[in-house]
Amino acid sequence: MKLLTHNMLSSKCLKNVNVGYPLSIKVEEMITSVVDFNPEFIARIIPKLEWNALKQAVNEVGKDSCLPNNLIENFENDEDFLKKVHHVLLEIEIVNGCLVCPETGRSFPINNGIPNMLLNEDEV
Amino acid sequence: MKLATPTYDLKNYSSVYEPREDTFLLLDALELENVYLKNLKPLFALEIGSGSGVIISSLSFIFEEKCLYFATDINPEACLATLNTASLNKCNVEVLNTDLSSGFINGIFDLLIFNPPYVITESEEYYTQAINKSWAGGNQGREVIDKFLRKLPEILSKRGICYLLLLKANDLQDVSNVVGKLGFKSKIILERKIIGEYLFVMKINR
Ligand SMILES: C[S@@+](CC[C@H](N)C(=O)[O-])C[C@H]1O[C@@H](n2cnc3c(N)ncnc32)[C@H](O)[C@@H]1O
Repeated sequence: MKLLTHNMLSSKCLKNVNVGYPLSIKVEEMITSVVDFNPEFIARIIPKLEWNALKQAVNEVGKDSCLPNNLIENFENDEDFLKKVHHVLLEIEIVNGCLVCPETGRSFPINNGIPNMLLNEDEV
Repeated sequence: MKLATPTYDLKNYSSVYEPREDTFLLLDALELENVYLKNLKPLFALEIGSGSGVIISSLSFIFEEKCLYFATDINPEACLATLNTASLNKCNVEVLNTDLSSGFINGIFDLLIFNPPYVITESEEYYTQAINKSWAGGNQGREVIDKFLRKLPEILSKRGICYLLLLKANDLQDVSNVVGKLGFKSKIILERKIIGEYLFVMKINR
């Protein structure tokens, strides 16, 4: 699971959970891979992101120093910034660990890079 | 453009649906829609029930690295098979083991594809073993389909497009009415009669 995906997941699917976002990440195994960098593409993704959730994720996987606290202006033209976002979004992968619901503490395991978001009948 | 069929190898994934006519009809539909889809420039694409992962991987032949690919399956082995097929085809796919799109935040997907379990069966068939979830559709073959349709408004982005595989026996007119009530247009864009099944691809958007 890439940090991009973390940005798109919530535990609102659990009954009695209001927001369920962002999930916190517990890492057991993480890898870094190389993905081709396309600045225009990253610039298209950035407006769709929840910046605070990304910051939190980056912090939880121990890479905090790489991103500014707030989304910068004119990021489209800042290649350095786009490269950093590219790296955290697409190149960091959680192979094993879990995602934890911020409201209930329910944990969703990640195995072989695949988060398991299946719920039991009494949780929906 | 002729879309190549992605490479796959399911010998280590015995509970995963082998691509067959329904899979290939959806692949043909994507090929037919190739130019339209390129203009749409979807940013987030999701295949629900990706099974072998052949369809979501083939999307990367259309959009290359200009789209983000996601897949879900309720069967954990299908999730692994999808990752394997993606990597055989050098495609980056993010996979979630979940029921339909449960876990994703609302309104993000610009492109959505689903080849659901559509065969008319007893309701219980679906729950007996993992492979049955690939075909057992319960009453009128519509049990998973109807659950999916109810979720459509929250899965699709404003400009989102969905391609759904259906069987004649699923009652196309009724499916069309159901999505109409949810505020969507629908259109059959491809159909094929094979032995014992009459298959359709429905395109759904706002
Ligand atoms: C007809 S097969 C299609 C597989 C593949 N997409 C293809 O076209 O060859 C249906 C797939 O949907 C999955 N599935 C069934 N019910 C599901 C659900 N509620 N949520 C997610 N996936 C589901 C099955 O495990 C199976 O992989």
